[in-house]
Amino acid sequence: MSDTAAAHEAPTSTGIDHKKLIMWLFLASDCMFFGTLISTHLLYRKLFPAGFTDAEGHQRFIQNLFNLELTSFSTFILLMSSFLMALAVSAMHKGQLKSFRRNVLGVIFFGLIFLGCQVYEFTHFYHQGLTIQNSVLGSTFYVLTGTHGTHVAIGVLWLILLYFYSFTGKLGGHMGALDVEVAGLYWHFVDIVWIIIFTAVYLVEYLGPNGIWGSGLPVVAK
Amino acid sequence: MSSSHEAAPDPAFLAEEVRRYHHFIVLALWLAVVTGAEIVLIFLPLPTAVVFTVLALMSAGKFFAVILWFMHLIYDKRLLFWCFFAGLALAFATYAAMIALFSVDRIDTRWFS
Repeated sequence: MSDTAAAHEAPTSTGIDHKKLIMWLFLASDCMFFGTLISTHLLYRKLFPAGFTDAEGHQRFIQNLFNLELTSFSTFILLMSSFLMALAVSAMHKGQLKSFRRNVLGVIFFGLIFLGCQVYEFTHFYHQGLTIQNSVLGSTFYVLTGTHGTHVAIGVLWLILLYFYSFTGKLGGHMGALDVEVAGLYWHFVDIVWIIIFTAVYLVEYLGPNGIWGSGLPVVAK
Repeated sequence: MSSSHEAAPDPAFLAEEVRRYHHFIVLALWLAVVTGAEIVLIFLPLPTAVVFTVLALMSAGKFFAVILWFMHLIYDKRLLFWCFFAGLALAFATYAAMIALFSVDRIDTRWFS
């Protein structure tokens, strides 16, 4: 820890602000939560590599369903929102409220774009025949990405509230910066979970002719 | 949300924030480049095991870059890192335990149907 950071040490037994410590503990528990969901998805992909059967009774393969361009765009959007969030936190630490508002508006905008992409993706998958009930793949995929989407939605709501709260004049000083930093930690966590989901759920499906799980089934075109 | 500490930030702290600001910009560019490289990588004619390993390493690199710099773990107290790392280790242990428990290459999936 630097001398500058030491100068801003919180007056607690750990030297860490309680809000920040609690948020990190919550994130650790959320890590276990997502770890379980991702593990379940990967295990069931291995156990049931065949994909799913659509409404017409055709065996479908998930890599034909995924839209890599859309998912890559969503990933990029979320990474950039994380960057803007870091700038928003930095602005609050410097006492620059206007800069904070600009950056947090950007984060909210990017978060809403990400959610829009997810809604579009879910709708598209549903119309292609992948539902939460018709296959193990559908169940684990929708539960995992849906839980992540819910986290994003909660983050967006939190940031909207912070944005409006900043106009009351109460979001200032050390405690205001701490509130923004805690919200930022949550937002960055949502981003790192997506980094793992993007690789473990989406990209691995493109490895090899039938995806990494290798079902041996013929790939049915869209 | 009290506003009891309204004093202006000290110059050393401000200088540190400016330094971090530049780190954030460089990191954001790196994250964008690595994400692009991941997408290109999956279409390269390389052995699956190689691509998978590189993808896992890139993903881990992005993960730790965000938690260390964007989430300030590199600037904060070590205790926070260990708190988070405990959750992360348990998540990986859960995955390892499930792999071992299910012995995925030998399981009879008729149990589930």
